[in-house]
Amino acid sequence: MSTPLNLDHLRPCLEGMVPSGIATCGVDGMPNITYVSQLMYVDPEHVALSFQFFNKTRENILANPVATVLMMDPETAARYRLTIRYLRTETAGPLFERMKAKLAGIASHEGMTGVFRLLGADVYRVQGIEAVPGRELPPVTSGPALLPALRRSVDALSACQSLDGLIDSFCSSLERNFGIQHQMLLMADEPACRLYIVASRGYAHSGTGAEIPYGVGVIGVAAREKVPIRIMYPASDYAYSRMLRDQAAASELAERLETAIPLPGLPEPASQMAVPIMAGSRLVAVAYVESQRECHFGYDLEDALVALGASAGLAMAALLCAEASAEEAAEPPGGPAVAAPSGEPLRVRHFLRDGSVFLGDDYLIKGVAGSILWRLLSDHQHSGRREFTNRELRLDPALRLPEVCDNLEARLILLQRRLQERSDCLRIEKTGRGRFRLDLGRPVVLVPQETA
Amino acid sequence: MTDTSPHPDALDPAMAAFITSHLSMQLAATDGAGLATAVRCVGCRVSPDRRRITLLMPRSQALPVLAGIAANGRVAVVFNEPESYRTVQLKGRDARIEAPLPEDAEALLPYAAGFARNLAALQVPEPYVRALVSCAPDDLVAVSFSPSEAYGQTPGPRAGRRLAPGEMET
Repeated sequence: MSTPLNLDHLRPCLEGMVPSGIATCGVDGMPNITYVSQLMYVDPEHVALSFQFFNKTRENILANPVATVLMMDPETAARYRLTIRYLRTETAGPLFERMKAKLAGIASHEGMTGVFRLLGADVYRVQGIEAVPGRELPPVTSGPALLPALRRSVDALSACQSLDGLIDSFCSSLERNFGIQHQMLLMADEPACRLYIVASRGYAHSGTGAEIPYGVGVIGVAAREKVPIRIMYPASDYAYSRMLRDQAAASELAERLETAIPLPGLPEPASQMAVPIMAGSRLVAVAYVESQRECHFGYDLEDALVALGASAGLAMAALLCAEASAEEAAEPPGGPAVAAPSGEPLRVRHFLRDGSVFLGDDYLIKGVAGSILWRLLSDHQHSGRREFTNRELRLDPALRLPEVCDNLEARLILLQRRLQERSDCLRIEKTGRGRFRLDLGRPVVLVPQETA
Repeated sequence: MTDTSPHPDALDPAMAAFITSHLSMQLAATDGAGLATAVRCVGCRVSPDRRRITLLMPRSQALPVLAGIAANGRVAVVFNEPESYRTVQLKGRDARIEAPLPEDAEALLPYAAGFARNLAALQVPEPYVRALVSCAPDDLVAVSFSPSEAYGQTPGPRAGRRLAPGEMET
């Protein structure tokens, strides 16, 4: 072998698709061998093993930390022996959560849901890798070549001039360059510890505006831990269909169900991955992809999406910053007077408690986006104004925007998209950096509500 | 040879039937300095009196394992039925390396076919299984031992429990 074996090239062996064996040696000199549910790649020098039960393997490694793993490539059947040394056990944090999610998929796949409970991620240093001879199948190449796909996607992102365009470019890149058919992009609302969908592809309903709290499901855990979460098999513990049922059961207010925007998503995804989109150390968004095929997203795709996410996150932060600074120069526009719309008036209700807005009887949006719409419609009603600036919204204390990272632009995009989907007579159109226009196709009647 | 009364150390017939039912098998040995190592096996037979088990494996894949067995005779073997996850580990202290019998080479193909059938339930393609357990007949080596300990290792909180004589893992 001309080049030494590197764990980076052997990551398919560490997906848990073919169980690995771990051989340990007791203090009495007797060997012990068992199959392991999960052996996970940490970095080129480290792997992690799931610690679920106190067993002989664990007793042995605590007394004598050196072990051998015999692992197989799930495509070629190539075999490798790793000599590993136990270092420590992590019981919380990103590695633990990655392993917990992955294990949930394996447990579900093996009919062991409720049996497998992760107590810790045992981290081992890899001291040696030996290729074991034997017959191998030729490697299979499937899916797009990832580096060219990544480069095309980064090129496309860097050409974007607006956050709106960037969001669409990101989703199109996943679709066209990476062949991903089902995806959601969720913006982070850091102060509220929630994420909301701004774009999705591959579903009957876009789910724009639907929210996921940090820590819930694959997406929420990825956001809370700021780490990619990837599951190779259907995992009922992380399925959003179940989460929705649980949330409905736990909800103290029945009307919450009416106001919630249903999450899109495959009913029983066989593969799932959520990738945090970071601007430096700040979470900006989470990209979520899923598939009906098992084992569809591997370590390499995870790497590619993390790299793409890093590029997208910085671009998003830069655009948000540029929008904000452009607003400084933007004068509050007067705009030409426009004839009042005619037709049957649309009744718009606004609930102060959560900012939710209903068009007629139909729920539109809540939170900051809902309050923004209410403020625009109220202004229009009083003064006939249709032209607005981001800056005046930012300065409006009634909107209660956080002082830093308010993501106002993202909320306007959310509102704009939600109106496009849910209303045939209300529109918000961007008219320049930090400026936008409210379009009304019908007169509106504003009905403030004190409580929900 | 014709004595039919089981020896007290003989494997339970159900255990003997289980471990020869074309399972996933790995054999471990230790090097005397505290390092255990392992190899995948490609066949298993049980002696007529059920007191000795013989594992078959490719010699080219087993070199560190064979060195350990030659030095101290201590072995552990894990048997796993993929579809049911039923798993058993047997250990012995008197392992020795042997030349395979002529029928051992003949058993390679039936083992591969049976193992492939076992894995078909998990959608593992047959060519993959055949590659995984392929062994040239002239590369075959046998390791036999008298099992002195048995452990149930089916995943779950009871994994690792020592099995009493005659007890079968469920």
